[in-house]
Amino acid sequence: MTKMLDDYALLSPLRYTNNWLKIGVVGFGILMGISSQAPLVPFSIAICMSLATLIFGRVPPKFYLKLLMGPAVFVVFSVIIIAFFFGGGPELFGFNVLDYRLGVNTGGLSMAFLVFSRTLGGMCCLFFLALTTPMVELFSVLKKTRLPDSFIELSMMMYRYIFVFLDVAWCIKHAQTVRLGYHDLRTSLHSMAMLCSTLFLRSWEQGEKTFVAMNARCYDGKMMIFEEKKTGEIFRSCIESGLHGCNRGGMVRF
Amino acid sequence: MHIFEGFLPSPWWQLWFVFSIPVIMFGMYRLNKLVSERRDLLPLLAVAGAFIFVLSSLKLPSVTGSSSHPTGTGMAAIMFGPAVTAVLGVIVLLYQALFLAHGGLTTLGANVASMGIIGPLAAYLIYKAGMKANINFYVVVFFAATFADWITYVVTSTQLALAFPSQAGGFVGSLQAFLAIFATTQVPLAIMEGALTALIFKYIIQVKSDALVELKVISQETVNKLRGISA
Repeated sequence: MTKMLDDYALLSPLRYTNNWLKIGVVGFGILMGISSQAPLVPFSIAICMSLATLIFGRVPPKFYLKLLMGPAVFVVFSVIIIAFFFGGGPELFGFNVLDYRLGVNTGGLSMAFLVFSRTLGGMCCLFFLALTTPMVELFSVLKKTRLPDSFIELSMMMYRYIFVFLDVAWCIKHAQTVRLGYHDLRTSLHSMAMLCSTLFLRSWEQGEKTFVAMNARCYDGKMMIFEEKKTGEIFRSCIESGLHGCNRGGMVRF
Repeated sequence: MHIFEGFLPSPWWQLWFVFSIPVIMFGMYRLNKLVSERRDLLPLLAVAGAFIFVLSSLKLPSVTGSSSHPTGTGMAAIMFGPAVTAVLGVIVLLYQALFLAHGGLTTLGANVASMGIIGPLAAYLIYKAGMKANINFYVVVFFAATFADWITYVVTSTQLALAFPSQAGGFVGSLQAFLAIFATTQVPLAIMEGALTALIFKYIIQVKSDALVELKVISQETVNKLRGISA
């Protein structure tokens, strides 16, 4: 079974540091990165965030590198297009394709570089949040916002069922694979369709059962979850994370 | 296709949020109304959202050897309508960003616009038009899902081209480049998704068609007709 980022977040040593602090740091990093005009700022944010994730979050470096490779295909393609088509300035190199001149100039190259660094910085910030803050903690943050209750209820229930259905899906997929259900394109298309339709029917039945179960327990449109108070902790967590806080703040400032 | 975190420069990611937020608000309004009328819908919508997420995390076997995943948005739009799909889409995209490292937070607005709003809307319109014209149900589903997938990519290419217009040809010039790379490579995958979705519906109708009738996706007569053909 594939490991999701949430699994790491639940085991993360930074799980119990204040949520608002983490969200604040990540939000600041993302906004700084996206609004900067030079690649240096997002790059340094990327380095700081990666170090914070690897050292303080104790994420295995191999897994982290694999994560960073995820967006690679999309980013590389798009960056190449930007390099060829964007910006002005003297041409660095180029070639002719069917009477059509394709060339990279300095403006395009620097823009491509900037976009690449922004994406890298943004992704590192996002990974930090995803790998240190489990969704359960984010729900308590979401509850404090003014989003409608039904939206938050819906996302909480969805969160629970994602894991139930992933389990079902993987069981079926393994069973199909050992019966050579994926040995060529045609059969895999059929197996996949069977899997998805079974999953849909299972989830439909599960939804009906859940409603009965929740009604029996007096569900009135609001699910109560236990939430630990962390208000007094903000100072402690500030001191605790002072080291990387300072580190990050210092690096971000220039 | 997900645009990754930090990829869209400053005026554009805000603009896509401005585009998406009213639609999502409308979706939430519809959702609230639906749920207050029929309380049993909330668990059902929750499992539907989870289903879309799981669907999108499954790898679809692909022709080129690389793998792609079904977006599932076309299917959701056919089943639940575009407004509810937009709300489910926001949650699914947020979870994808946080669990699978697909997409991002600042680009959420743009991703919701392409995958949660415009793609499903196209699927829904094609589905409704096709059913009105009395075309075979599976054919309609195939086209709806194929175009939902493909239009999503066209919208993403447009978003990228708007943000990065080319030096020589402006917006049109870079749109051609982005379309050439993303939209044309997506055509076989979109067809695959269409075929997959049609097959999924075929299995559902064979096993348990009441679910679809209850969702008002198809009428009982259509089911009988389809069963008559397939039997």
